[in-house]
Amino acid sequence: MSSHVRPGLSRRSFLAGSAALLALGAAGCAPSSRAAGGVTLRFYEQKQEVVAYFDELLRRFERERPGIAVVHDSTVAIAPQFVRNEPADVGCFNDNLELARYVERGVLGDLSDLPSARTVRTDIGELTDQYATYPGRTSVLPYSLAAAGVIYNKRIFADHDLPVPATWSQFVDVCEELRRAGITPVYATDRDTWTLWQGLFDYSVGSLVAPGEFFRRLTEQGTDVGPDSPVSFEKDFAVPMERARTISTYFNEDHAVRAYADGNLAFGRGEAAMYLQGPWALSQIALVDPDLEIGTFPLPVSEDPDDRQVRVNIDLGLWIPTASTHQEEARELVEFLMRPDVINAYNADNLAYSTLQDAPPQQDERLAGLQEYVDRAAFYQGAGTFVPTSIPLGNYLQEAIRSGDFESMLRTLDADWRRLAGREATV
Amino acid sequence: MTALPTLPAAPDAPAAQDAPARRSHGGRVEPVHYLFLVPTLVVFTAFVVVPALIGIFYSLTDYVGFGEWSFLGVRNYAALFSDPRILESYGFTLGFALVTVVVAQVVALALAVALTRRIRFATTLRTVFVIPMVVAGIVVAYVFNFLFSNSLPALATAVGFGPLEESILGNPDLAWLSIVIVSAWQTIPGALLVYTAGLTSVPNELYEASALDGASPWRQFRSITLPLVAGFVLINTILGVKGYLGVYDVIVGLTGGGPGTATSSVAMTIFGGFTGGDYAYQMANATVFLLVTALISVAQIVATRGRAVRL
Repeated sequence: MSSHVRPGLSRRSFLAGSAALLALGAAGCAPSSRAAGGVTLRFYEQKQEVVAYFDELLRRFERERPGIAVVHDSTVAIAPQFVRNEPADVGCFNDNLELARYVERGVLGDLSDLPSARTVRTDIGELTDQYATYPGRTSVLPYSLAAAGVIYNKRIFADHDLPVPATWSQFVDVCEELRRAGITPVYATDRDTWTLWQGLFDYSVGSLVAPGEFFRRLTEQGTDVGPDSPVSFEKDFAVPMERARTISTYFNEDHAVRAYADGNLAFGRGEAAMYLQGPWALSQIALVDPDLEIGTFPLPVSEDPDDRQVRVNIDLGLWIPTASTHQEEARELVEFLMRPDVINAYNADNLAYSTLQDAPPQQDERLAGLQEYVDRAAFYQGAGTFVPTSIPLGNYLQEAIRSGDFESMLRTLDADWRRLAGREATV
Repeated sequence: MTALPTLPAAPDAPAAQDAPARRSHGGRVEPVHYLFLVPTLVVFTAFVVVPALIGIFYSLTDYVGFGEWSFLGVRNYAALFSDPRILESYGFTLGFALVTVVVAQVVALALAVALTRRIRFATTLRTVFVIPMVVAGIVVAYVFNFLFSNSLPALATAVGFGPLEESILGNPDLAWLSIVIVSAWQTIPGALLVYTAGLTSVPNELYEASALDGASPWRQFRSITLPLVAGFVLINTILGVKGYLGVYDVIVGLTGGGPGTATSSVAMTIFGGFTGGDYAYQMANATVFLLVTALISVAQIVATRGRAVRL
């Protein structure tokens, strides 16, 4: 679209044209008119809770680095910009199977030579490789690590003299006692199926089977997935799903029709003792009762307390597409965001963990129970995050919880995986 | 994306008859008439036909939406027919469309007949009945979601009606009913309007004459009303089935395809492919679905051709 005003243009059409251009500019489509003579970067970040936070950071960057203007692109879908071959200059996105598609196909450039790349904890950097790698490249710099465990109501636990369970049998005892006292042990929200795999499924698996390793071997097996193959859902997830089945018997009675928002409301009102959710739920619960005393602990699923691990995910990772025409400036922005004062402050403020070596601990009381596990890398990325969305894991779990038959679900998962491998569908 | 709207010209539409007459009358068609077609043709070609053809092409590859791809031939299609989830979604969608179209047409026609009689408050009622049409599907679905999850079970518990004390949304055998109810509720107004228009075109003399001959209201309905609005039934059925086959937003708002995968429609599985990196595979699914939808529409036209009575 041209922004030139031709001499013959009438005033009305000129005004209309300007209005249209303004609208486009506001939508982040016509940024060329920003910083005169300078470079305008497009920064992609769409995590709703922190859009305003990053806006602030970008303004700060612009002040510190005159000549570079940054436009914040917060559109929800990531795919269109790559489909159009117009990706943002810097991306800041959840590291998951979706981002892995771009890593795998080499459309994200190498960041390993950035000074900040060497300051990232290696045990966190390795997490990104579990989804996908591109030979010789560090495609994603982990920016923010979120850790999740069991959220529990400290008041209820104290009122009934219940310890924080360290083993599976202790956990079951706690649930039994709560039930005897007429309290819902675990609040579940089946209607939002992601909450099922994020909580019940991932927590049950993670401390018993290392998901990264399991899915690496599963992928290597190709179509040879079944009860007789070296690894399979049916075999390796049998014990974890027995745990999941047991836990599901302690759910609130109406779990089948409850959604995520219901869960936050109910837990905030003290209607249940435990809630299998991540730190993102804490701000929602605080809206219901800001003074609720909340703690967190990793779900124990074996009899050895040392087996306990927390579920983590790289909530945000930084990347620069190879298609960006402002590589140098994009790198400057990444370096700015990775500066210890910036990255540590972001994570401290947003209930997450900085990915830098020697980062300060998360100060929030509610997450104190997870800190030591993050510190010594006793963590895993949730098994559910390795399952492509073309396998509706959440829906399968819904059915398994209803029927109590988790074994058929595991057989279905094996069959689905075989089919996916058979038509060589990539993640 | 989803199936193209295959809107067949109703066989007994007035235009189809008038056109030859006009042609013989004027010798040839005014060239400017062709000009009127151009904008629609251009827009339709650019935004429907071309993307559809591109999509069909990519269904023969392993394209994920960007980057490189290789040609797979019909492998995606072969995989499609052995995928139980895909087959299940077709079964659900076809069954759902069939049930819903029957429910919606029967209710709409009954309402239309009632409202065209000189009953009290006919105009007010007509307005009230049309309201569901102007509310967005996803909004309707969320409202009903609340009713089915909370209000209905509470009501059932209060009156002690066992089967409904648990929400039907959580029951894989009954959840589909909720989708039928909401979809029908939402589409009945449109059908109702068409039927009202159809019924007002039936001359009153016919009813008077038949009444003199001693015909009962039921007999009048069967022998006069029904044959004379048969054309409208056809239009409503074709439009209805087409709409129900693409059911998406109502399911997203009500059950999310669950419990389990009990209410996953074809449109939902197709859309899942775009976010899940399964683009080419679901493109193949979309192509098959397009053919299925087109076939059903053609079958409907053929089956009902010539059934409509004209005066």
